[in-house]
Amino acid sequence: MRPESHHNGSLAVTVLVSVGRHPLTGRGRRADQDARAVELARSLTSAEVELLHAGRLDEGSEAALRGYLGMGFDSLSLLEQPVGADVLPAVAESLEAAGPQLVIAGERAEQGEGSGLLPYLLAERLGWPLVSGLAAVEDVTEGVATLLQALPRGQRRRLQVRLPAIVTVDAAAPAPRQSAYGPARRGRLEVQAAAVMDDADLAQWQAQPARKRPKRLKIVKAASARDRFKAAAAKAEGGGGQVLTDVAPEEGAAAIFKLLKEEGVLR
Amino acid sequence: MSDIVRRDPRKEWIARNRLHPQHLEVLAELGQGAASEWMGPAGLIRRNPHAVGFMGPNGLKRIDRSGVQQGAGGGGAAKSAAQSKPLVEIESPAFLVAVVPDMAGGRLTGHDRDLLGLARQLADADPAARGAVLAVVFGEHKEDDFEGAGVDRLLHLTGAEVDGFAPEARLGALVAMDRAWMPRHWLLPDSKLGGADLGRRLAARLGERPATGVWQLEADDEAAMGWRCTARGAAGTVDFQRAMPRLVLALAECAEPVSETRHAAEPLALPEVLPSQLSRIQDLGQVAVDPAGVALSEAEFILSAGNGVRDWDGFHHAAEVLGATEGASRVAVDDGFMARDRQVGATGTWVTARVYVAVGISGAIQHLQGIQTCDKVVAINMDPGCDMIKRADLAVIGDSAKVLEALVALVEQSREEKRNAA
Amino acid sequence: MLDTLLPILIAAALALAVIGAGRRVRLWRQGRPARVPLLKGLAAMPRRYLVDLHHVVGRDKVMSNTHVATAGGFVAAAALMILVHGLGLAEGVLGWLLLAASATMFVGSCFVARRRRNPPSRLSKGPWMRLPKSLMAFSLSVFAVTLPAVGLLPEDFGGWVVALVLSAVLVWGLGEMFFGMTWGGPMKHAFAGALHLAFHRRAERFGEGNRSTGLKALDLDDPEAPLGVETPSDFTWNQLLGFDACVQCGRCEAMCPAFAAGQPLNPKKLIQDMVVGMAGGSDAAYAGSPYPGQPVGEHQGSAHGPIVAREGKALVDAETLWSCTTCRACVEECPMMIEHVDAIVDMRRFLTLEHGNTPNKGAEVLDNLIATDNPGGFDPGARMHWAADLELPLMADLQQVDVLLWLGDGAYDMRNQRTLRSLVKVLRAADVDFAVLGNEERDSGDVARRLGDEATFQSLAKRNIATLAKYRFQRIVTCDPHSFHVLGNEYGELGGHYEVRHHSTYIAELYEAGRLHFKPWKGGGVTYHDPCYLGRYNGEYEAPRNVLKALGIEVAEMERSGFRSRCCGGGGGAPITDIPGERRIPDMRMKDVGETGAELVAVGCPQCTAMLEGVVDATAEVRDIAELVANALTEAPEASAGAAQQSSNRPQAVEVA
Repeated sequence: MRPESHHNGSLAVTVLVSVGRHPLTGRGRRADQDARAVELARSLTSAEVELLHAGRLDEGSEAALRGYLGMGFDSLSLLEQPVGADVLPAVAESLEAAGPQLVIAGERAEQGEGSGLLPYLLAERLGWPLVSGLAAVEDVTEGVATLLQALPRGQRRRLQVRLPAIVTVDAAAPAPRQSAYGPARRGRLEVQAAAVMDDADLAQWQAQPARKRPKRLKIVKAASARDRFKAAAAKAEGGGGQVLTDVAPEEGAAAIFKLLKEEGVLR
Repeated sequence: MSDIVRRDPRKEWIARNRLHPQHLEVLAELGQGAASEWMGPAGLIRRNPHAVGFMGPNGLKRIDRSGVQQGAGGGGAAKSAAQSKPLVEIESPAFLVAVVPDMAGGRLTGHDRDLLGLARQLADADPAARGAVLAVVFGEHKEDDFEGAGVDRLLHLTGAEVDGFAPEARLGALVAMDRAWMPRHWLLPDSKLGGADLGRRLAARLGERPATGVWQLEADDEAAMGWRCTARGAAGTVDFQRAMPRLVLALAECAEPVSETRHAAEPLALPEVLPSQLSRIQDLGQVAVDPAGVALSEAEFILSAGNGVRDWDGFHHAAEVLGATEGASRVAVDDGFMARDRQVGATGTWVTARVYVAVGISGAIQHLQGIQTCDKVVAINMDPGCDMIKRADLAVIGDSAKVLEALVALVEQSREEKRNAA
Repeated sequence: MLDTLLPILIAAALALAVIGAGRRVRLWRQGRPARVPLLKGLAAMPRRYLVDLHHVVGRDKVMSNTHVATAGGFVAAAALMILVHGLGLAEGVLGWLLLAASATMFVGSCFVARRRRNPPSRLSKGPWMRLPKSLMAFSLSVFAVTLPAVGLLPEDFGGWVVALVLSAVLVWGLGEMFFGMTWGGPMKHAFAGALHLAFHRRAERFGEGNRSTGLKALDLDDPEAPLGVETPSDFTWNQLLGFDACVQCGRCEAMCPAFAAGQPLNPKKLIQDMVVGMAGGSDAAYAGSPYPGQPVGEHQGSAHGPIVAREGKALVDAETLWSCTTCRACVEECPMMIEHVDAIVDMRRFLTLEHGNTPNKGAEVLDNLIATDNPGGFDPGARMHWAADLELPLMADLQQVDVLLWLGDGAYDMRNQRTLRSLVKVLRAADVDFAVLGNEERDSGDVARRLGDEATFQSLAKRNIATLAKYRFQRIVTCDPHSFHVLGNEYGELGGHYEVRHHSTYIAELYEAGRLHFKPWKGGGVTYHDPCYLGRYNGEYEAPRNVLKALGIEVAEMERSGFRSRCCGGGGGAPITDIPGERRIPDMRMKDVGETGAELVAVGCPQCTAMLEGVVDATAEVRDIAELVANALTEAPEASAGAAQQSSNRPQAVEVA
């Protein structure tokens, strides 16, 4: 039997995109994770992809949002929201109205609180399942999506989730394609009015540029003076390693084998 | 086999006594043989003063005359110290601090221990009304030191429904727990695929606005819960100072782990049976990932080839046997032996492997830049003067093909032994 | 009988040629409009042909003379033939002149034939192999039919058999020369070439010592203006005309570093592909060297079809376009003055701006340029970290200086920082009033532009121009020929006009003014590598050699030096797009260096330094000219010591490694 989604044409996908911020220069840009989300959506065959952004339209954000259009989109829906608003109601209402099968978002925003809560709140409000840390969507058949979730160190886990669902991606998802200037310039930003709810909590918090976190000191709690002396006089780590010269290959191999064992990389 | 170390005071005494005729023999037996003295062929005692002592941090040689350096026996010391830590028991806690550790690999991670340390701070803040730290552990585990990590109460939930990736079932358990015991604080590690995911689900379900990326906590009487926290936001570029909410997702090193006390880790059980629910997310299990196909930037163990490699078949075979992801220097890529996406370095991929084995790579500056964040670097090279050797934690000077061959033999042999033993 | 046949034949050939010309012009006019002064161009054409073009052709003396004899003989013979045989004006001197012209042409065609016996691989075969025969057929038959006309032979010599044979040969000759000229035969080059010279898109490059190497800007303000070239018809009509002028001599192919490295680029084939695309069809008929590794006959296109397909094959593969290092060796060699690099960048522009398909690290580099103003993605605030100890004067503090030192992105590169330190030392030793922009400097936009990202280039350029407009300075000095070229030749179109000097030029000036003094050279043999963007792009071949001479170094020249210098492989974003080949371009260049026996190769470009130093097992060390000069600096001799002391109120030269 043909997949259900193919009967009525295609899989409706909405990607939530935000305005990113370059970590060094602070310039607006495509948010890295959101761009990966768009790339993931683009890689789905027979998917009809919509871009949705909630926020203010100004010169800085427009350049960043056009970055998404440059990935090959004609338009992007923009829910007009003032700075410091809670975008949850606006986005949720928009999704309820549009009724996509799959919503893809980046894990966290690069500006504002950046708590990564929005997808969870949306999932809770819409009553949809949520899967985080996606690496790929393998297949969508009969309303069930087979997903690959990224585990640390390149490992993957296969999951199945019933649609409609929300999935989030992070740096393990495929790298986004280049944003081309031409489509970015031509694409339309379709501004829609939406309900506004102030984020009262956020206004109360004090925000300041991130301080460098203090490096944790190695505190040696030793019972005896000798142990304390040894700890203080111990060789600093990384100050030149062990060099084996004039050894038989077997000896060298044994030393490497020991290190690999200690590090636990041999399976 | 028992791992209890049995001390032999006589041997230790001989090991300390450099004049004892059996001194060297005993040292060798104890496996501490720094042969600074030996009997020469003419029957004279020969001494190598260079073999004595160790290099101190300032580059000066230090000699530890306590005898420990040569005959450090004391194997039971760590154990006894653990037992000597005072046991703290909280009979009737004023409140509960719930912690959901990640338990990656079945053990408490460093992040989990930091979080438990933070929980202890919250629990022990008011000596008059102390709280108890309640840890929730899902699935089978291998941890045997919940006591030392600062856990007063332990809720261990097992069963097929909470195994693997089961966020919905676990969330259900946490919600049931919240209803049953109303913990004053919820602490979860803000770590990828662990607490970060579960904590946000819990926040959304409980309707609590959590503090995420918390890395600092200080008492503040004006705040509703008596604490203020500093939370990282906006992709790590902004610090938010805010009153601490009920649910906190904290970063690693948010607090010092518990080290001086032991706690009861008393088992608890949920008062009600969890309602079984239909999960909309089904875990089909981990996918076998070919190490060769893992992206270099994600790989944990990289075997990297450079200009010095001649035996390419041997190299590929070694990578396969070791289960390592293959990398390459620019030259090896330019010469067509390796694909471009395998290039390591500033002009290729910046890697973060735990172990990086550089075979026949001399270490151009761009290459060394690319492996900056690798934990352990092993170099196999013919040239003892090259820059890679200086960077390496372990360097073997010799023919890389032979060393790799020997290494492959060792690994295969140990696998064989393991199979026979099992 | 011939008397009646000849005028008919000639008239028919001319008529066919005119029809063919009309069709050919229609093909060219598929291109976009371009503003070209038509009459002025036509008037300038003979001079461009006789002087500028033959300056290039004259590099090969034998071929040059061959072409003068053949082409000159043909033009004269054709004109006279029309008069003598077409209009029957055989009396007097005209007939004799026609005999002389056709004889000259015959001699020339013999040389053409000799060259075609064992043609070098760069020459195209196919129809070109019959050209000498056609030339001979034409010249011989014209000669023969003219003999009776001047009375050397009786009117009806040989009877109708000979007349028929002669006519047949003449038909062949006329067919090739007149019909083929406008219907796409090898002689097309004469017709298209002449018009190409007249309507060349860079009229300013003609004339003694003139050059025009800056890329032309895209109009980004007009939303309707196309972003680069998607289809052959997106080229301007005179570009299409230029492609049609190609004689397939393969001099570009012989010089192209990417072709030599086995990357899938052959400039000649690329131009021919554009011709194929313009007329529509497949490249199967192409008879020259293919793109390395790509058989002929698999690609096809049409005037309004895409040149590069998003998926699959079209006229040209994207790798072909990205293999180019923009070294201009092909343009420098082309006897037809075709602008290959313009065409390649035009097509790259479309790939980057519309497809968003800059290969390999290209996209990352462009993103970095957009976000951080440097290709490496480094903190723009860290641009001056390398010079923390040098206390470099900043433009922001001084506002007005003689020399603005443009550092370039090499400021982030540890190797290039050594060069920059040396240059600072030299400037201080010569007591130059200079300052740097510091963190206000941005990438010049060179890489962005060569990668086809005109938008990023213009954004960077406009901001740099705005920064430079805040300050007053006499000239800009830079050790990066790429910045030099962009600042000097490409900012002008966007409103930034500066006097820019490469550091070698400036050091040569300082030395000639007696402001620098050098110790005698004690090292071994030295050769000099001409950076493309200094030499071919800006014509500066002498100053670096003068500096080396002043240092007491006798340069052992490489076989390919000066305007024929082989690229290091570092230009045009080629190391970023990184198209695989069979060899690496810098390895080949280092082999050139090795053949001179030099122990050291002097360079004047950070890219060249990086590329050549990246060669494994190189026989020579790589040093920038600034480093050589800084190491040779010495105090002024006694006589001028007083003068030196007068101006010692500024910091002494800082010793740098």
